[in-house]
Amino acid sequence: MTAPATPTGPVEGGDSASGKRASGDDGQPIQAIHAAPTGVLRRYVFSVDHKVIGRQFLFLGLIFLAVGGVMAMLIRWQLASPGRPVPVVGRLLFGGSGGVISPAAYTSLFTMHGTIMIFFAVTPILIGGFGNFCVPLLIGARDMAFPRLNMLSFWTMAASTATLTASFFVPLGSAQAGWTAYATLSTAIGAPGTGQTLWTVAVYLNGASSVMGAVNYITSVVRLRAPGMNYMRMPLTVWGFFLTSMLNALFVPVLGAAMVLLFFDRVFGTQFFVAGSTIRGGGDPILYQHLFWLFGHPEVYILILPAWGIVGDLLSFFARKPAFGYRVTVASLIAVVVLSCVVYGHHMFTTGMSPLLGESFMLLTMVISVPTALLFLNWLGTLWRGAARMTTPMLYCVGLVFTFGIGGLTGLWLADVVADMYLHDTFFVVGHFHLIMAAALLLATFAAVHFWFPKMFGRMMSERLGKLHFWPTFISLNLVFIGQMLIGYAGMQRRLYDPSAYDFLRHLLPWNKHISQAAYVLGAFQLVFVWNFFYSMKRGKPAPANPWQVGTLEWTVASPPPHHNFDHIPVVVRGPHELGHPAAIARGKDWLAQDEVIE
Amino acid sequence: MRLGIPHDASLDGHFVDGAIGYLTITTGIAFAVLVVVLLVSLVLYRARAGRPHGTYMHGDRLGDRTLTMAIGLTLFLAVDVTLAVRASTNLRERFWRYPDDDPNALRVEVSARQWSWTFRTAGPDGRFATADDVVTLNELHVPTSRPIYFKLRSKDVVHSLYLPSFRTKIDAIPGSTTRLWIQAQEPGRYEIGCAQHCGVSHYKMRGWLIAAPDAEYNGWLARAEIDSRLRYETRDPTVPQADKVWDDGWDWETGL
Repeated sequence: MTAPATPTGPVEGGDSASGKRASGDDGQPIQAIHAAPTGVLRRYVFSVDHKVIGRQFLFLGLIFLAVGGVMAMLIRWQLASPGRPVPVVGRLLFGGSGGVISPAAYTSLFTMHGTIMIFFAVTPILIGGFGNFCVPLLIGARDMAFPRLNMLSFWTMAASTATLTASFFVPLGSAQAGWTAYATLSTAIGAPGTGQTLWTVAVYLNGASSVMGAVNYITSVVRLRAPGMNYMRMPLTVWGFFLTSMLNALFVPVLGAAMVLLFFDRVFGTQFFVAGSTIRGGGDPILYQHLFWLFGHPEVYILILPAWGIVGDLLSFFARKPAFGYRVTVASLIAVVVLSCVVYGHHMFTTGMSPLLGESFMLLTMVISVPTALLFLNWLGTLWRGAARMTTPMLYCVGLVFTFGIGGLTGLWLADVVADMYLHDTFFVVGHFHLIMAAALLLATFAAVHFWFPKMFGRMMSERLGKLHFWPTFISLNLVFIGQMLIGYAGMQRRLYDPSAYDFLRHLLPWNKHISQAAYVLGAFQLVFVWNFFYSMKRGKPAPANPWQVGTLEWTVASPPPHHNFDHIPVVVRGPHELGHPAAIARGKDWLAQDEVIE
Repeated sequence: MRLGIPHDASLDGHFVDGAIGYLTITTGIAFAVLVVVLLVSLVLYRARAGRPHGTYMHGDRLGDRTLTMAIGLTLFLAVDVTLAVRASTNLRERFWRYPDDDPNALRVEVSARQWSWTFRTAGPDGRFATADDVVTLNELHVPTSRPIYFKLRSKDVVHSLYLPSFRTKIDAIPGSTTRLWIQAQEPGRYEIGCAQHCGVSHYKMRGWLIAAPDAEYNGWLARAEIDSRLRYETRDPTVPQADKVWDDGWDWETGL
């Protein structure tokens, strides 16, 4: 095995299966957790194989990513050209108003855009898709701990998406209370009609699916790690999914509780979130906000932790150098998980919360910047003195470090109660969380797709198309979301159908037009990704077992892996980032697989 | 293409602008350093003919860890702690020090509903729920010389009284009372917005705060007081209970 002549791209025919490997069950027949299915239905639809379920989640998420993306384009159209008919699709979508987006349709759009992107795009793609695909392969297991629960998790998600989709077609239309669905706007007081009720059910089912996944991931990581795969040898990706699952298991039930209470308020006339009056006792709308954000802030970390894990691994892989400060990185991830439980109040500074709580939540929120800073330092330390191969997955990762830098630092602005009094509920908040939840998470998603595509589908994605997708996406993402922060700084509130209704915002219209233009570019270039994805699946170059020349366990098996993943359960003898190891270089390559034996 | 923060007409808005300024500088520097190190390491340490693989180091020696911890802690002390102390000082000394004991403060009751703001001030007798109360819709007149003390309620859903030229906002929540105080520094017409999504016509829920010197304000008040007697409704039996904006006896002094 020799080092490649052009070490900047994936390697043709590169294969690490040549090294001698240790095995935990030498001489034993293969013991798959479940037999390979024979029928088409069992193999592709009602499969219990984590690799199939992962791909099901991935496809479901990508479809909804496209739906949510189209909604974003429509929102941007209304902000750039208020009250003008939407070109091309306007008559079809908004026939009743002559192609113009009505105020009701607009509130529906931003509500469903947020709901879909968080719960039905990013969650299934990253956690459902890559979590399922990666966790067993990366820890050296033949499947999840509970394959049937895994299948139930996907089909619960499918039921949830069906419910959400149905909500568009009921009288009065879909939910319109924002993705946060603050009471009492989301109760019968502010939202009559079935749409909001179906939304509540859909979010509940979505949460149930997430909790099932979380139980599975936690159990799998704790119980099914291959011999020798101790916690300090786990790839950071696995750490990301492991910690995310803990937060999911702890806090998604809180959202579930809020949804149950909201459902009762809407359907059975209870008053958990409806204030009482002089003639009738009642509940408190603020209770809903507490429940929502007690889940909602950990949710940010639920989504970003897998991305951090993936980036931590990929930066090391493509810098051809061990991850810098692995243990500090893991400690930082754990610290973020712990802190994420006690900061949610910063979403509620303007509800008139008590000064003691306000100051505590401010300080605790700011403390999160310490572990986050350590993560950044370790990422930079990983690149320092490396030999970076600027492949597409690497480009997306570097792009993530950039956008997450802006998104993370602007979090401090909103943690500061004084600055937040002005910035709260403006587009500054929108730009800030989109830099993290949209820009950084999408870049991580694209990095993961390009990186694991060969293992998922047995073919390589086009590097050329990947770069053609990366650069316009990266530039326009930043223009859109930094632009949003600027108009938020200029005072523009979120969720306004027509900002020019306000005198003090009228001069921002040209800015909104430019932001929308950048957004259209962003939307248009996603077609490159769609083309690359489907074309490569059919016609891409056949992938070798280890095209990226890295040492984690999924690359020691064929692409795609056999049904039972590992013929022999590997015995892990080292960490996941042994790149540039002297013993490897002596053998004419620069990485060692986690289970490779050096004699 | 003008872009920028609205004109600050308030006494304390400069604290907010100061916080934002400090944040811009500190986070700007941190981000610039991040980008420079990122670019330098990618340019210096990219894979090329003489550099086929990275340096074999794990960054887990005591020195490496001490260095990262030291940088992290320095950032925390220089940025976060400074910010938190500044913010806490401003909050305790200004924003959260409500003018409860200041008889000079103009007390304003705000009733938010889909999709309008109704303001009530006590009138010349200084008492609420009397016939000389001044009630205005989507328009609030205030003098520049006195603190304005708001007390907010909502009739239906959560709204948020947003005063961009005063750098602040506060939610109006059904079932509870929130409060806010500001003081205008310059006469003028300043827009009032709603910052919390409150339904289909959220974007139309706007109004004006008109700050004027004392004499001008008092002149307006005299006219408005006569005018508003016509709208006094608290004990008017011809107005159905459900149509009343104000509840009986909701008096600033007695609380709720």
